[in-house]
Amino acid sequence: MDLSGIFGALLEIVGSPYHVFLLLIAVPIGMFFGAIPGLGGKLGIVLAIPFVFGMDETAGALFLIAMHAVVHTGGSVPSILFGVPGTGPDAATIVDGLPMTRKGEAGRALGAAFGASGFGGVIGGLFILAVLPLLRPVVLAFSPAEFFLLAIFGITFIAMLSGDSLIKGLLVGFLGLMMAFVTLDPQTGAQRYTFDLLFLWDGIDIITAVLGMFAIPEMIALCVAGGSMAQVSKEGAKYGMAGVLQGLGDVFRHWWLSIRTSVIGAFIGMIPGLGGDAASWICYGHAVQTSKTPERFGKGAVEGVIAPETSNNSKEGGSLLPTLFFAVPGSSGMAILLGAFVMLGIQPGPGLMLGGMDIVWILIWALMLANIAAVAMFVLAAPTLGYLSYVRGNLLIPFVLTLTFLGAYLSHRAWENMVLLVVLGTLGYFLKKYSWPRPPFVIGLILGGIAEDSFHKSMALWGPSFLLRPGALIMLGLIVLSIGIYVWRTIKGRNIAESYHAG
Amino acid sequence: MQVSAALNGRVGTALAVMLVFVTMSLIALGFPEKARLMPLMVGVPGSVLGLAQLIIEIRHSAAQTTVDADIAEMNKAERSMFIWMFLYFFGILGFGFIYAAPLLVFGFLYIGRKESLPISLISAVATWAVLFGFFEKGFEIPLFTGLIVESIIG
Repeated sequence: MDLSGIFGALLEIVGSPYHVFLLLIAVPIGMFFGAIPGLGGKLGIVLAIPFVFGMDETAGALFLIAMHAVVHTGGSVPSILFGVPGTGPDAATIVDGLPMTRKGEAGRALGAAFGASGFGGVIGGLFILAVLPLLRPVVLAFSPAEFFLLAIFGITFIAMLSGDSLIKGLLVGFLGLMMAFVTLDPQTGAQRYTFDLLFLWDGIDIITAVLGMFAIPEMIALCVAGGSMAQVSKEGAKYGMAGVLQGLGDVFRHWWLSIRTSVIGAFIGMIPGLGGDAASWICYGHAVQTSKTPERFGKGAVEGVIAPETSNNSKEGGSLLPTLFFAVPGSSGMAILLGAFVMLGIQPGPGLMLGGMDIVWILIWALMLANIAAVAMFVLAAPTLGYLSYVRGNLLIPFVLTLTFLGAYLSHRAWENMVLLVVLGTLGYFLKKYSWPRPPFVIGLILGGIAEDSFHKSMALWGPSFLLRPGALIMLGLIVLSIGIYVWRTIKGRNIAESYHAG
Repeated sequence: MQVSAALNGRVGTALAVMLVFVTMSLIALGFPEKARLMPLMVGVPGSVLGLAQLIIEIRHSAAQTTVDADIAEMNKAERSMFIWMFLYFFGILGFGFIYAAPLLVFGFLYIGRKESLPISLISAVATWAVLFGFFEKGFEIPLFTGLIVESIIG
């Protein structure tokens, strides 16, 4: 390993005031784009490209990657405070982040989210540095068969996120899967449930679906209940700096979970085509599955904030590698970044491994440093942000509704998305009102398309024997293990409850 | 037997979910063979599970006869919020973000929630400033102008 090259790149960033300045400017801009629903990192990069045009390749790439690295850190803020995800992958943070806000723990949730994001970004970067020599065979080993089973693995988490009623959880998950089929059939090109509406040809927009399922119901519920987002009095609530520091400490108290979800996130990010949305839900499901007290999840468990936030930021490091070395972007944000790199004079492809590693090290370090800078900057702002959870609902609702409609429109620049928003918002409200779990819907919607596409490809390539490929067998083992753990825990929980009532 | 609105809502939600699955499964029968495979693989078990949940909810509602006194009040607030959501939708759809959103914010605060005039006005102006100044001018992001405004302006 080229240690002098690796640490030389670090010195090139921290030793140059110009580079440090660019990094410190890029971080709040990136967080801002993440925090406003519908804007997101992709638009941020597109808008920043004219500013980096003319910069040298190191400075320009450093600015863009630092901006992109912290988008999801910003996205966690509206997710936790208002139940409005800044970007699609931030939706998983709502499940426990919003209940924490309701319990008066907004500061703790924000501290955990910022700390986990920074931790994930750094661990993700270190993981990438460590596995770089092994990267190529691992990434290339992922065929449609493994994609399909990885998607099924994620879908099995629906059961774990179902709460008290498995049937309700499965139904909502299946509903998400059905909505994933609203698009052109990937095999035949036939229209499915699109009713000749062009905007549905690309499928149901994830951001609109998440805003409909979470933001609209939360605002209606807030109006019905009255008061503020936080449902406890300010006295004793953890929205101040003490709460923020407690949240930061939680990341290290749950260090093993933080490391695991960071590594899983980075690994998923490395696989082109799987999508970043999947990473946060898979890691959330992993946290539920491995917790000794899974019943706390969905009710304000801090691990439910840590898991998706670590993976959100670590996957950016992962997706950087196929982008740079195979010129295959690991996410849609990376696809735009790829174009920007080419414009700056960086030629992605296998050739980088031979003669362009300097810029690769710089980008990985920039990713890590941006995450650290984001934590430092926004931990200080977290108590003020946490105070927003005590703003009266009456004042909050019209702004959040405006932002929600704006986010749905901007995600695809299609007014038809606002129709979808209202339909899904109405459905989401009644699901919330009558205690149907909503996260399985998003998992189904995200993974349904991936599962179907890769299933057809696998069948076309290998027939049913695709299940016997080595990678597929490993994935099958994980699925069986995951279901086995769930069944074992359910039976164990029931036995404990029965013995409690009997005693 | 008197059944509360909440229980009717539970049955209604379960019925709606089941009907979505049944309808989508029936529609899927008209797709080409390969295109209908996955929708039917999910839709048919979804319909069966939906029916099971519906039966559970009906049995539950038959067992419950109490009426929650707060429900009428909650339903009123709920209806009011749904009306505002649809006003937002039709307002923005017709007149776009720049014109409709500030008016809707003002209307929601001043008429809907009886906030003071200065707070309602400041909120409306702030909304306009963010949408017009920040998005349209600052970032040059063209916002939806509204179908009615588009048809008038051309």
